[in-house]
Amino acid sequence: MSPHLHLVEVEPVTVAAGLLDAAAVLPRHGTESLSGVAPHDLDAHRAAFGVRRSYLGDAAESLLTAIDEVHLTGRGGGHFPTAVKWRSVLVHGPGATVVVNAAEGEPGSAKDAVLLQTRPHLVLDGLVAAMEVMGSTDGVVWMHDGAWASARSVSRALAERAAAGLADPSIRVVLAPDRYLSGEATGIIRTLEGGPTLPRFVEDPARPWSQGARPVLVNNAETMARVGLLATGSTATYRASSLLTVVSAGHRVVLEVGPTSTLGEVVERAWSSPDGRPPQAVLLGGYGGSWVSWEVARDLHVDADELRRHGLSVGAGLVGPLPATACGLEEAARLVRYLAGQSARQCGPCVFGLAAVADLASDLSAGRLTPSGRRRLGRFMGEISGRGACRHPDGALRMLTSALTVFGEDVHRHRRGRTCDAPTFAILPVPGED
Amino acid sequence: MSRHATVREARPARPSTGDAALRIDPSVCDGVGICAHLAADLITVDSWGYPIVRAEPLRSGTERRQAEAAVAACPRKALRITS
Repeated sequence: MSPHLHLVEVEPVTVAAGLLDAAAVLPRHGTESLSGVAPHDLDAHRAAFGVRRSYLGDAAESLLTAIDEVHLTGRGGGHFPTAVKWRSVLVHGPGATVVVNAAEGEPGSAKDAVLLQTRPHLVLDGLVAAMEVMGSTDGVVWMHDGAWASARSVSRALAERAAAGLADPSIRVVLAPDRYLSGEATGIIRTLEGGPTLPRFVEDPARPWSQGARPVLVNNAETMARVGLLATGSTATYRASSLLTVVSAGHRVVLEVGPTSTLGEVVERAWSSPDGRPPQAVLLGGYGGSWVSWEVARDLHVDADELRRHGLSVGAGLVGPLPATACGLEEAARLVRYLAGQSARQCGPCVFGLAAVADLASDLSAGRLTPSGRRRLGRFMGEISGRGACRHPDGALRMLTSALTVFGEDVHRHRRGRTCDAPTFAILPVPGED
Repeated sequence: MSRHATVREARPARPSTGDAALRIDPSVCDGVGICAHLAADLITVDSWGYPIVRAEPLRSGTERRQAEAAVAACPRKALRITS
């Protein structure tokens, strides 16, 4: 049966505006067992979202316009305008490789896993639409080696589409090492060019592939799913929203919220307090994001513009509330230690500098940082800033800087050798550690 | 045969040749440090011996010559002068 007949025959019943129709619940570690959101097979996908339009030839511009109109930004953490990125690849002509980046390196985040396991056809519709706009014959789903449930879902969805005669362009799944930096775009491109899965220094961020190599467009899985929503042809039903992962002691909740929701409402809805008290602060964005005091976070809307005015960002959508009884400095030191360990080990300032900062942060959290150690910490943080091939050390510094501000009273107390007398187990999940 | 979308916006122009600057690729730099000796006005060294390269463009013939010497001497070819 020809693919064109399929597109004409199936009528959309109701077009869901959002990505998820409920919140998903996952364990603290891993993405193998997910509940709360029923996975969509191809029929359910079409019933919920309708049928993807073709964006070949002259129709391509209409999708770029739609992406522009809804101000879609990248959801991997950078929140760069998606239409601008697509056009910057198109400048180099047709035939780019298009990658959906589903290597969700952020340890606490599970939004991409939820999309891959429950809405694979949204992600794949987005990928195919992107490939049509780019004139691409090489589509890649880039995933962590250990993400078995997500990989199974993608494989099953690809097989379903082939069996249904959708005649998608060529799409392959490429597996990445289970590391934090495997989701970094230049590393992905480097791998596809035959190199190692490690970040690369690029002169021009608008052209992250090698001179003479095939252009590559990389978009986060959530971004691609949003393109999939727009690919049904209607911007009227598209709803601006954010996918967040809220981390509690024993589980995580992934939910979709609109820009009128506050972080306070998100926490109230999706976080389990261990002591019945509100959190003292929230880590927002990812382990390279920012701590926000509860006083501020409670009333902040999950709106990109408002967050930017506060120097904040949704980032990778991680929401990590810190219980009242925990020690923010200990948590921050633990996260810096993890990030230092995840260095690609290519750049001196990261290998040596970030490790030294992690040591000093541990000293601070243990109440044994001397005055000269304090001065070294400040100097080292200033020296490392902006001097890696990628932004990994900068994220760690951003998170630590925000911790030193938000937990300023703790800093004062810890300098005098008195620690918080807080439980020493990890609040936020650190792979391999807790 | 599919055609890609036509391009509607040009990319912003890159800085002109008057903005030549010394740039380092930190992923190939090994902290050997010859550059800091040859380009003392442009490069200092951090707490671990790795070069901190000034971001601003080259401002004089002297700075240009220092930059060129550092580029040539780097055993890892980590430095280049951009325009």
